[in-house]
Amino acid sequence: MKAAGYTCRDLSVTLSGPAGERSILDGVTLDIAQGEIIVIVGRSGTGKTTLLRALGGLVLPSSGTLQLGGRDIDGPPTEVVMVFQDYAHALLPWRTVRRNVALGLEGSNKHTRAERDELVDSALEVVGLSARAEDRPWQLSGGMQQRVQIARALALQPRVLLMDEPFGALDAMTKASLQDELLAVQGRTSATIVFITHDIEEAIYLADRVMVIDGAPGRITYDIVVDLPRPRDQLKTKELPRYLALRRLVHEAVTGGLDD
Amino acid sequence: MTSPRQRLNLSGLLTVAALLLLWQGIVAARVIELQYLPAPTEIATAALSLLADGQLLDATAHTLSATVVGWLLALVVGGALGVVLGTWRPARALVAPTVDVLRTLPVVALVPIAVLLLGFSTTMEITVAAWAAAWPIVVNTMGGVAAVHPRLREVAATLHFTPARRIWSIVLPAAAPLVVVGARLGLSISLIVTVIAEMIGNPMGLGHELVQMQQALRPDAMFAAMLVIGMLGVLLNSALLSVSARVGVRGRS
Repeated sequence: MKAAGYTCRDLSVTLSGPAGERSILDGVTLDIAQGEIIVIVGRSGTGKTTLLRALGGLVLPSSGTLQLGGRDIDGPPTEVVMVFQDYAHALLPWRTVRRNVALGLEGSNKHTRAERDELVDSALEVVGLSARAEDRPWQLSGGMQQRVQIARALALQPRVLLMDEPFGALDAMTKASLQDELLAVQGRTSATIVFITHDIEEAIYLADRVMVIDGAPGRITYDIVVDLPRPRDQLKTKELPRYLALRRLVHEAVTGGLDD
Repeated sequence: MTSPRQRLNLSGLLTVAALLLLWQGIVAARVIELQYLPAPTEIATAALSLLADGQLLDATAHTLSATVVGWLLALVVGGALGVVLGTWRPARALVAPTVDVLRTLPVVALVPIAVLLLGFSTTMEITVAAWAAAWPIVVNTMGGVAAVHPRLREVAATLHFTPARRIWSIVLPAAAPLVVVGARLGLSISLIVTVIAEMIGNPMGLGHELVQMQQALRPDAMFAAMLVIGMLGVLLNSALLSVSARVGVRGRS
């Protein structure tokens, strides 16, 4: 199995928009080891999503190097799957939930039909949508639609999972249970996960490291190791003094509030 | 969402019956003096006798098959061209003005030229029908494909779809409502142009039947042929609608 760690040196991304060239990221340097859970936090407009899209090969670096497993990224790498923020546009409305989840598996000859069905079933089970498998996405709530997209990614058993605010649309209960499912899946598959969120508690609960991105163009301003024991627990972990200290640290890093 | 099977429109049918009755009355009472205006009953009699001797059926079969073959050609070629133009922006810039000029050429004017090029033949008939039917298919497919949300293209990219699979599994289904619109327009145009080609060029089918009966001073038979052409149009359209509903394409308005 290939190593699936990222090496990123002095990465810059410039995008051309209607208002001309715009520098989104500048001088981003980071290393992500295989199996690590990295959570990126930062204010809006600091290039979080662009960084994730660069890691997913959907935008290419303007300068600097960006490698996955020692190879330059020049397009979406294999075994990397992306969960998009706008789930409504990322699902196929004409397919049932089950066939949406199966989408990524259909083209490959890696699995037999029975194996495919099993992967789809267990992915639906993980996100709690087995009962809605024959519905169409537009018959589901926003949170359920996002879970379909997550199931589609999980069914592929990717080595790297890139997730752009995947739980933003979910209620607190579902969010907590999916956080735990994600950690459990990661524990089984040791996939590398890069996760964007606005929720600082979520960031600390999930992460091995929290990276703070700030500025325009954005760069990594803090790289905070979350030295909390695993497996984590929604109640016990969040009562640890170390958790509370980290929460304060990350909060200050994001808001730039050195004065309080 | 309406069910694909259209409900019988009773009040609409009553209107048709009333109009036919009015027509019959006008002809019987000689309110309007038109030498060759047949009554609906005469048209029905003519239709029955033409049906009985097989003449009308043969003509209908010819027109129907030419219409459908021309349309299928248009669907394949026009659909492919539409996908290419919709996917690839430089191609669109390069070709769009040409498409606009060609599709606005009155196809009726092309029939005499096509006769000269291809002769008085069914090939000529199918060629002009396909030509005319292709343009709405090209334009609508292009529009539908170009409007596919960029996120879906990225989904295809991160799932490592081959271009063929991307088009088949994502682009075409996403564009399907507009492709169906183009296909429906193309089908009705194909029928119209087929009949015109038969009237001017290829001495077969319902168009030729119409001209022949005109020369034979048989207005009842002409109306019968026209009736069959109208029914063909309705049948083809509803067949296409029910097929597209069956494969799950609905006009999402």
